[in-house]
Amino acid sequence: MPIHAITNSCAHLQNAARARLGLTSIPNSKYNLRLALAMHRAGLVSSVTRGGPTPPPPESLLTHESEPVTTANVATRRIWLGLKYWGDKPVMSKLQAVSKPSRKITAKINELEKVARGFRVGHLKGLDLGECLFVSTDLGVLEIREALEKKVGGLVLCRVS
Amino acid sequence: MSVARPAARRLVVSGCLPGVAAAPSSTPASCRQFLPAAQQSSNFHTSSGLSARKRSRFSSVPAAKMGLINEEKIQEFTQKKFPKFTPEEMVELSKRYSPEQIAAIEAGEASINPRDLTIQGRLRDDPYVMEYLDDFAEHQPIIDKRPQRHAPPDPGARFMDLDDFTEDLIRWADQFRSGDVTGTMKKVVDFVPRQWKDVAEGQWPGEVRDQAHKDFKAYLQEQIKNAAKPDNMSGPTDADVLQYILERSSMTDGNLKSNSSLAPALPRKVPGVAGLYKNAIDPADEGLDETGIYQDLKRRTGMTVREILSLQTKALVRRFVSNQTRLGKIQSTSVLYCAGNGDGWLGIGMAKSTEPLIASTKARLMAIRDMKPIRRYENRTIYGNVTGKVSGTVVELSARPPGFGLRVQHRIFEMCRAGGIHDLAARVPRSRNPMNTVKATWEALCNQKDPESIAIGRGKKLVDVRKVYYGGSVY
Repeated sequence: MPIHAITNSCAHLQNAARARLGLTSIPNSKYNLRLALAMHRAGLVSSVTRGGPTPPPPESLLTHESEPVTTANVATRRIWLGLKYWGDKPVMSKLQAVSKPSRKITAKINELEKVARGFRVGHLKGLDLGECLFVSTDLGVLEIREALEKKVGGLVLCRVS
Repeated sequence: MSVARPAARRLVVSGCLPGVAAAPSSTPASCRQFLPAAQQSSNFHTSSGLSARKRSRFSSVPAAKMGLINEEKIQEFTQKKFPKFTPEEMVELSKRYSPEQIAAIEAGEASINPRDLTIQGRLRDDPYVMEYLDDFAEHQPIIDKRPQRHAPPDPGARFMDLDDFTEDLIRWADQFRSGDVTGTMKKVVDFVPRQWKDVAEGQWPGEVRDQAHKDFKAYLQEQIKNAAKPDNMSGPTDADVLQYILERSSMTDGNLKSNSSLAPALPRKVPGVAGLYKNAIDPADEGLDETGIYQDLKRRTGMTVREILSLQTKALVRRFVSNQTRLGKIQSTSVLYCAGNGDGWLGIGMAKSTEPLIASTKARLMAIRDMKPIRRYENRTIYGNVTGKVSGTVVELSARPPGFGLRVQHRIFEMCRAGGIHDLAARVPRSRNPMNTVKATWEALCNQKDPESIAIGRGKKLVDVRKVYYGGSVY
């Protein structure tokens, strides 16, 4: 799967968080959706809603039923993410793509174990306090701790703190 | 052919051969007999000697021979040129000069003998003669200094207190006497015979006492009668009172007039004011703050002086800076201090002053004032890795396990010691500007992540594994 969309999404989300936006959108793709759901599981975003070019109404973010995807409207579909803030600071303040299309970085399970403990492995710097690392595995996009629980390695997408 | 030969021959001829040398005939015989023969005739220079001493064509006539310096002539000249002041002239002079000046003139006249003036006195024509003839009788404002008409001010003079003022007022009032001088009125004692004067009034015999009282009464009545008489000197006029108010000196210098129109400067200790503006010393300070520099800090921080003094402070950076003005460079010292209590409180303060000591004191006080708690993990290290950046200086601080120590550069070391951090690693990968290093470290220490707020922000439970593993018994 191409990962440039992930890289773009990371940059966009970091910009949106710095601009203190409450709701932002990324292009609708399976990869983006899986990453957004992984972030949601990690508590980094407050809501993941599929929608069109206009944002869904805030009161129905969790219950919004988007119109069915057709070949006519598929290009305009977006994933709307609710950003979180705590104590005057964004919960997700720094997003950094690790792999890029020209240099994909994968990590095996034993490498992920080291990284999760804070040690550097190859190109992969150790995790710091409160940092998350998202890995694309056979079981979908997982946070590093989920991957370790499920004992899978894979392509390292991005680190979020 | 040598050019030296004729001269050498002349030297030989005139100097070395005594028989050939002929002394000039004009040399006086008395001189000749004292001079050695060789010195007399040889020149120690190359110029040719004079054939004979030049003499005037006229024979000199002594003044005595001309009858100029016999005693009569001297007397005559002296009488003519330097006569004594006549009584009429003295009267004229006394109109013009004060008695003291007249006395000085007379003393000067007496001290100089007119005969000496005749014999020795002359108008100078040497190069150092003054360019004008002056007896300094007139004051020329351009040339001369301004005359000091009054005596110099009394350095020991002070402002009058109440007693001095009363005395001065009485002294002033006594100028306008219309009776006896104040305090000179007679008393009963003055009317008793001499043998009773030193005895108290109760011991006087009856007739002496009666007589004294009678005389005293008569004296008083006479005084009252005199006071009732109209007098042309009836007291101070309004002008006198105004002059007293405006011009009377308020110092204990006896109303000395000043040469300057400026009022005298205030003394160092003005009575009634001295000591009023001194800060009250707080007994709670235990005498530790005599100069009062910690009073403001005490008020701001709520600490006692003893607590303030027990804080750890350290000068981290000291720079000598200068401000270039059109009047020149103004040097000052810039000092950066850190202060901490060794248990989690840390502050930094910077101050500048032309006086290095003042800059240090100010910076130290600023650092203490700036102190705030910094986050510490297990009271020994920091939370995670933090980075601080000031200008081109980046400081990367990393938490380290217990017993690791402070493997940091000296300025960060001092900050950690003051703040009570015991395990830390630091890197300063880029610029190592001292002042920016300290500031970046301060920024990094203040911007540590808070696990609790991260947990609240994500809605997750974060657990400190060390604490769980050791059952909370980490120190």
